[in-house]
Amino acid sequence: MSAILEVRDLRVSYSAGREILKGINFSVEADDFLAIIGPSGAGKSTLIRCVNRLVEPTGGEILFEGRDLLKLGESEIRAERRNIGMIFQEFNLIERLSVIDNVLTGRLGYTSTLRSIFRAYSKDDIRNAVRLLDRVGLVEHLDKRADQLSGGQRQRVGIARALIQNPKMLLVDEPTSSLDPKIAREVMALIREIAREFGVPVLCNIHDVDLALEFCTRVIGLQDGIKKFDGPPDKIDKRVLADIYAMEVL
Amino acid sequence: MQGDVSDLSRYDHHAARIAAWRNRSRRVRYVCYFLITALIVWSVEEIVVADTDWSRISWESMLRSAQQFMSVDLSIFRSLMGPALETALMATLGTLVGLVLAVPVAWLGAMNISPLGRTTYVIGRGLMTLSRSVHEVVWGLIFVAAVGLGALAGVLAMGIRSIGFISKTVAEAIEDVSPGPVEAMRAVGASRFQILLFGILPQVIPVFIGNVIFEWDVNIRRSTIMGLVGAGGLGLALHRQMASYNYGGVATVLLVILLLIIAGEILSYYARKAVI
Amino acid sequence: MSTPVASAAKPLPEWSRFRFPQSLYKYAAALATLFFLWWSLGTLRIDIERLPGILGRMFEILSDRYWPPDVNHVLGSGYIAAVVDTFKMSYVATVVGLLIAIPLAWFGSFNMTPSRRFLYPAARLIVMSCRSVHEMIWTILLVAIVGFGMLPGTLAMTLFCIGFSGKLLAEAIEAIRKGPVEAVRASGANQFQVFLFAVLPQVRVAWTGIAIYTWDVVFRAATVVGFFGAGGMGHYLRESVQRVESQEVAAIVLSIILIVFIAELVSAWIRARIAKAVA
Repeated sequence: MSAILEVRDLRVSYSAGREILKGINFSVEADDFLAIIGPSGAGKSTLIRCVNRLVEPTGGEILFEGRDLLKLGESEIRAERRNIGMIFQEFNLIERLSVIDNVLTGRLGYTSTLRSIFRAYSKDDIRNAVRLLDRVGLVEHLDKRADQLSGGQRQRVGIARALIQNPKMLLVDEPTSSLDPKIAREVMALIREIAREFGVPVLCNIHDVDLALEFCTRVIGLQDGIKKFDGPPDKIDKRVLADIYAMEVL
Repeated sequence: MQGDVSDLSRYDHHAARIAAWRNRSRRVRYVCYFLITALIVWSVEEIVVADTDWSRISWESMLRSAQQFMSVDLSIFRSLMGPALETALMATLGTLVGLVLAVPVAWLGAMNISPLGRTTYVIGRGLMTLSRSVHEVVWGLIFVAAVGLGALAGVLAMGIRSIGFISKTVAEAIEDVSPGPVEAMRAVGASRFQILLFGILPQVIPVFIGNVIFEWDVNIRRSTIMGLVGAGGLGLALHRQMASYNYGGVATVLLVILLLIIAGEILSYYARKAVI
Repeated sequence: MSTPVASAAKPLPEWSRFRFPQSLYKYAAALATLFFLWWSLGTLRIDIERLPGILGRMFEILSDRYWPPDVNHVLGSGYIAAVVDTFKMSYVATVVGLLIAIPLAWFGSFNMTPSRRFLYPAARLIVMSCRSVHEMIWTILLVAIVGFGMLPGTLAMTLFCIGFSGKLLAEAIEAIRKGPVEAVRASGANQFQVFLFAVLPQVRVAWTGIAIYTWDVVFRAATVVGFFGAGGMGHYLRESVQRVESQEVAAIVLSIILIVFIAELVSAWIRARIAKAVA
C-alpha cells in the first residue's frame, strides 16, 4: 500500500522566532486511523493544519498522493483542499444555515460563484447530502437551523460535511473535546465506521489518550514539536506515555 | 495591639512621592477646570450679553410667542397627512439607498477582508467619516443643487448620510467574526468570495439588520426637516406655516411630526425584537 | 441514537429548496417589495426614467455652476468670526448640556436611579423628548421665540446635547459592575454618595469619551444652525444660497466639511490619548 500522505522534515515557526514544529516525519497509509497524542502546546493542532495549509509551514515537504502541497499556488491548493475533509473541535458550522445547507457547503469547492450565491447545488449534491445525513442519523433534522442542534448532533453534521467532499483523507482536530464523554465515544465510533466504509484514512488529533488507543490503528506521540513515538497502540505503555507527556502517568 | 511603629517610617518616602504626584495631577486638573470655566464665561458673555438683542426680547414677547404656539390650528391637520406619508416614504427609500451603498463601503473598511489591505481600508474608513461628518442639512443643500427641488434630493441626502453609520457598524462586526466558520470554509476549498459569503456574511447579518432599523428610525427624524431645504414632506409644510407666521399652524405641523416619530419608534422597536 | 444502517424499508426524503407554501411566501414578499418601491417612487413624484443618467447630470451641474469655489469669500474676517462663533456656541451648549444630562442620566439609569417609579420614567421622558425633535426644529422654534442670534442656537444645541448624551451616559451607567456599588452602600452611604463614589469612578473613562464625541456631534450641528437664523457659519450659507451665489455656496460648504473633519481628527486624537492614558 502506498502512502496517501507523506510528511518530511516539517517545520513551522512563528515570526517571534519560536519553532513550533521541529522537523516532523511520518506517513499515512490508505487504511490508517492515525492518532496524534501529546501534551497541549506540543504542536498537534499546528501539525494537522499544515496538511491542508491552513497554517503555512516554514520548511519541509508534504506529499499528498505524490504531490508536494507546499509547492502549490493559491488556486491549486484550493483545488487540493477539496480532496481533504476536515472535522473541527468546535464543529465550525454556519449557525444561521439549516443542517442540509451546512452539509452542502462541503461542495463549495465544486460549485461556481454564481450558483453559490443562490445556493443552487446540483441535484446529485443534494441527493448525496440527504443520504449522508441519513447515514449519520440526522435526516429528520434536515431543515433545522444548525444552532438548534446539540453538540453531538452538530459534530455529526460536520462529519457529513467533510464526507460530501468525497475526500481522499480526513483531518480530524480534537473531535471530542467539546462533547460529553458518552457522546464523544459515539462520535469517535461513527468516524471510524464511516472512514472504513468510504475507504478513507484518518489523521486525528486527540488529547484523550484512552479514546485514542481505543479507536486508532497507529499512534504518533508529539512533544514540544518533536515526534517521540510512532507505532501501533499496543506498544504504548506507561514508559512511553511518561516520555511523551514528561510527567507522572496516573 | 501596638505594632512596631518605627517600621512604618520606611514607607514615608513612598508616601511623600505619591502625595507629590497627587498634588501635581490635582494641580493639572484644577488648571483644566479653570480654563474650561474661563472659556465658558467668555463664550456666554459673548453669546448672551453681546450678541443677543435684549431690547427686542422681553418676557412678554416670549410669552406671547409661546402662547401663539399653544393655539393649535387643527384645521390643517387633514392636509398634513399627505406630507406625513411623503416624509415616511422619503426616510424609507433613503435608508434603502444607504444600506445598499453601505455594503461595498463596509467591505472596504473592514481590515480583515479589505481587498487591497491598508490602502482600501483607509479609503473605506474615509468614506464612512465623510458620510457622517457632513450634516444632513448640508447634504440636502448639495443634492437640491444637483438634482433639483423635491423628494429625490431628500432621499439621496439621507442615503448618503446613512452610509456612515451602517457601514461602520457592519465593518466592525466583520472584524469581530468568530474565525471557526471561516476556517471551515477555507478547509472545504471555497473561493475567497465563497468564504466571504458563507463564513463571514451570516455572522454579520443580525448586526446589519438591527442597525438598518435603527438608522431608519433616525432617518424619520431627518426626513422631517428635509423640506426646510427644499426636499418635500412635512418640512415643507413647516416652512410654509412659519413663512406666513401662522404659529398655530406651526404647532400643528410639529404635532404631526411628533406623532410620526412616535409611530416610527414603536415600529422600529417591534421590528428589532422580531430580528433578535 | 445508534447510527442506522441504510434503512431499505423507508425511502429517503426528496429535498428541494423550493417548497410550497414557504417559497410562495418568499416570492410574494419579493413582489410586494418591488411594488412598494414602484409605488413610493410614484408617490414621491420621482421620475424613474430620469434616474439612470442621474450621476452624469449631477456631475455636470456641480462642475458647471459650483466650480471653482469662491475661496476669497470664506477668508474674510466676517466669516472667520462666524467660525469662532460656531465654536463658542457648540462649546457652551456641550458643557451646559452635559451638566444637565449627567443627573438626568443618573435618574434615567435603570440600575442606579434613586426612584424607579418617578425619577426614572421622568428622566427618560425628558431625554427622549429632546432626542425626538430634530435639532433644527429646536432651532427654528427658539429663533421664533427668542429672536435671531447665537442665543437660540446655543439653547437649541443644549437641548440637542441633552438628548444625545443623556442616552449614552445612562447606558454607560447601566454597564457598571455591582460590586463597588454594594460596597459603598454597605458602608451606610446615601444615594448621592453612592453615585459619587461607586458610579462616577467606574464611568469616568466612558463618560469622557462620550463627552468628546458629543461635542463633535454638537459642533457639526452648530455649523448649520445659522442657516435658520441662529448664528454661526450657517448664516453665511443661507445668505449665499438666497443670493444664488453658487460659487460662494460651494466655498462655504467645503469649508464646513474641512473644519468638521479637522474637529473630528482632533477629538479622535484626544480620545485615543485618553484611552492610552487609562489603559
